[in-house]
Amino acid sequence: MNNINMSFDLYHLWQVCGGQLILIVAGLLLILVDIILMEKDQEIRGRWMGWLTVFIFAATIGHLACREWDLHDTIFMNVFSADKYSIFISIVMTCAGLLAAMMSIGYLRNNGLVRGEYYILLVFAVAGAIGLIQSVDLLMMFITLEVMSLAIYALAAFLKDSSYSQEGAFKYFLLGSFGSALFLFGVAIIYGTTGTLNITQMAQYISGGSYSTLPILVAFAMIMAGFFFKMAMVPFHMWTPDVYEGAPSVITGFMATAVKAAAFGVFMKVLFVGFTPILASSGQPDFAATVNLSALGPYWKPVIWWLALLSMFIGNLIAVSQSNIKRMLAYSSIAHAGYMAVGIIAANGEGRMGVLFYLFAYTLMNIGAFGVVYLIDGMERKAQDLEDYRGLGYIYPSLSFLLSLFLVAMAGLPPTAGFIAKFYVFAAAIKEGYFLLAALGVLTSVIGAYYYLRVIYLMYMKEKVKDVERGPIAAPTVVALVIAALGVVYLGLLPENLASVANLAQQSLAMIF
Amino acid sequence: MNAPILTYVTFLPLLGVIFIMAVPQRSEAGKNVIRAIALVASLFTFLASLRIYHAFDASIGAFQLLEDHVWIPSYGIHYKLGIDGLSFWLILLTTFLTPLTILSTWRAIDKRVKEFQVALLVLETAMLGTFVALDLFLFYVFWELMLIPMYLIIGVWGGERRIYAAIKFFLYTAVGSLLMLVCIIGLVYFHNEHTGHLTFDLLQLYGTSMPRIYEILFFAAFALAFAIKVPMFPLHTWLPDAHVEAPTAGSVILAGILLKMGTYGFFRFAMPLFPQGSAYFAPLIIVLSIIGIIYGALVAMVQPDIKKLVAYSSVSHLGYCMLGLYVLTRQGVEGSVLQMINHGISTGALFLLVGIVYERRHTRLIKEYGGIARIVPIYSTIFLIVTLSSIGFPTTNGFIGEFLILLGAFKVNKIAAVFAATGVILGAVYMLWMVQRVFYGQVKNPKNLALKDMNLREVAYMLPLLVLIFWIGLYPNFFLKKMHSSVEHFINQVKVEDVQEQPHNFAAANNILQLGEVTVLKVKE
Repeated sequence: MNNINMSFDLYHLWQVCGGQLILIVAGLLLILVDIILMEKDQEIRGRWMGWLTVFIFAATIGHLACREWDLHDTIFMNVFSADKYSIFISIVMTCAGLLAAMMSIGYLRNNGLVRGEYYILLVFAVAGAIGLIQSVDLLMMFITLEVMSLAIYALAAFLKDSSYSQEGAFKYFLLGSFGSALFLFGVAIIYGTTGTLNITQMAQYISGGSYSTLPILVAFAMIMAGFFFKMAMVPFHMWTPDVYEGAPSVITGFMATAVKAAAFGVFMKVLFVGFTPILASSGQPDFAATVNLSALGPYWKPVIWWLALLSMFIGNLIAVSQSNIKRMLAYSSIAHAGYMAVGIIAANGEGRMGVLFYLFAYTLMNIGAFGVVYLIDGMERKAQDLEDYRGLGYIYPSLSFLLSLFLVAMAGLPPTAGFIAKFYVFAAAIKEGYFLLAALGVLTSVIGAYYYLRVIYLMYMKEKVKDVERGPIAAPTVVALVIAALGVVYLGLLPENLASVANLAQQSLAMIF
Repeated sequence: MNAPILTYVTFLPLLGVIFIMAVPQRSEAGKNVIRAIALVASLFTFLASLRIYHAFDASIGAFQLLEDHVWIPSYGIHYKLGIDGLSFWLILLTTFLTPLTILSTWRAIDKRVKEFQVALLVLETAMLGTFVALDLFLFYVFWELMLIPMYLIIGVWGGERRIYAAIKFFLYTAVGSLLMLVCIIGLVYFHNEHTGHLTFDLLQLYGTSMPRIYEILFFAAFALAFAIKVPMFPLHTWLPDAHVEAPTAGSVILAGILLKMGTYGFFRFAMPLFPQGSAYFAPLIIVLSIIGIIYGALVAMVQPDIKKLVAYSSVSHLGYCMLGLYVLTRQGVEGSVLQMINHGISTGALFLLVGIVYERRHTRLIKEYGGIARIVPIYSTIFLIVTLSSIGFPTTNGFIGEFLILLGAFKVNKIAAVFAATGVILGAVYMLWMVQRVFYGQVKNPKNLALKDMNLREVAYMLPLLVLIFWIGLYPNFFLKKMHSSVEHFINQVKVEDVQEQPHNFAAANNILQLGEVTVLKVKE
């Protein structure tokens, strides 16, 4: 268990980090393609780059899905691990990238922004995210976190002429660097205390029990803060509304889902592999018996309890008073982070499975919602106010119906994926006896229902006040929206398939050793 | 017999939705086609539900026509349907009222016809699903599914303050039902801990033994959800708004069927699942029901708006239903079930009648009318008959329901019965006073002189209701005999557990002891 895996061969490499390899190599090739297409017409260039990116993501998903499912291995001296858990989250993030890329083709054309680096950054962001989720090594986590983040900072600033975009991206960059710095401090303290950067070795050290609590706790708090920042949990959420509002709509959708999935995924990995010693005394990985007996449980559980509650309350409450739909969805994403955190507190298999399911469902509904938002927008910031949505239900019936479906899913009403996802995380928390948190949580979702339904009533129950001209609709966007919508309904009616896969994925966390 | 008839009935309206989607609604002809499809779909649903009538065996008290398929195996969630003597009647009431409401909207809803009919049919599926679901998760899914179509029906096609009313309706219901969801999950895990069996199946969850305090808490959450829907006295404020602002069809469905969800929830879930909790809260609920009966009647008396008056009368009538359920005698419970049906018929009919006159004059204020009996004789006659049924005049349905409830109440709680009986008198006061002001005396308002009487379509959808009013009033046994065994079963379920209080307390004490031991062990560690 302890011996470092030195074996290195290409097949092995391909099996463990094929997803990253495809994305990095393809990303580099895309740079080349972009240069070749430089002279070509904007239209052709945009289409080629876009479709190539879609193909790259599809290929990555294909590789991830067809990869040896039962393989549990690490590579590069225990830096990257391949297990069902990281595969699952990688697929979620690549799906987010795929949907975003499909929508981007239309989005960039509508906004006259056809530039190749957009897609290249998108590919690298996903490559970084997959690397992050596969890392077992804290330093590699930091590096891949930065790879992902830098790409996203640049993407958030992509609307060069929009001061909102620049402001948001700059805030994101400054605060994000701060968050990363905290994380790095935590890593340094861990290294100083335990002498290792590998989370499994760290876990063994901690489960040995012979450690001084204070430095571990300080490091833990700092690492948590770094991740909370990316997860947009209160009180690390201040950047969210500005960035989500300013960034290109499609990128906002991507950010809110892929980055959240990466942050939640790696946070759970660090928490349940590294900090809460999950090794049973016999040395066999055993979740059920040990998680709740963990020495650090009393420290982190109350923290996440409060942060989850605050995220749900503050996110939902402030969202009510927003007038810009992207800002509203930004606050709603803070609230959703709170709901997912409820599943983490439960600290049982159901909870982790619920979070994974939630991440997938949230990816579908959130990217779908932002896809509709960009279409109704026409050009960025032309029609983003909630007031602009008045009476749209009768002018653009299909778009409005799709948006309503995604919003109803976010509100957590059956029969949609959002309801099942919330059911899973709350059921897990109730199983562990967190009745109060669950009760308060569902009450906040009533607040949530209020502002989601407000968009619906504006669309269907008010007369229009101004003419809203939606942008031309691109075929790939429609396909992406339909995929998202079907997914939301399918997972709402028949969640068992995905849930059982998610369950296998969370079980494999124990196998990382 | 093996055909999944409950599934057919529940999802037949959705078939209509698919057809409606294909029809464009630009032209008047298209709109008529849409209305016709909706009507046919709901009529077929009604016909299919008559098959249930034949298949239903009244001698069995337990659930029948069961259908059971695994849905989400890892959580023990099943697609499980079944009916008993109560849901049997409520299903028939639903499938019976829906075609009538669709017929009533033929002219009243002229904009966005397609969306309206789709919402109505989806709502019908959700309502039927709520009545047939025997799995708590499935029940909850249908229960929540009702919200969105009703929210749209009130909010899109309603009156002036429709959005306020729609949101109020939604938020009130959502708060209650989400807390109920938490307690459903809690109950399921509690059951799981003690039997090692994770299931949402209602039949298995019945009789889960748990400490009294848990029963009280769980019951409180369930009761809150259902009491909002009923609505019971302090939680009723959404009802007048929703009723007044909703279009006629919405009010009919709301009063006729949605309110029954609350009493149905008590009957099916809250009381049999937590008999001790129910017993603990029984005095409070009886008092609140009586307050509801009297308060609803008093407030109805002073309403200037006919529709609002009818809405408040619902508060009063549903108070009877709750009282009947809680006296836990056979007469009381059967009266309560019958009163649910009665209220669906009578109040539904009243809302339809108010809608008819509103379509012509676009006002519902009592003072705008007066003496119209001479101008619209057919309308006035029907209105009077429905009024008499609503106030419980002998030979009409209302009389049987209220009489049975009061009879049942008198056996166990004389004071409650006396207070509740005053509601009958008050009911007569507010309804007859309103009828007098609207229909009799001199015609004061010249606008009323041109009022048209009911046309054939309107008579057509009122007639079945009138038939039922007298049918129940003259031969109630036809209806009661179908529910005898189910009601007995229900009373046994709720009462027997009550007697066995002793062992439960032991179980609770044991639990506490165990908890104590665990704590001691932990401390030692």
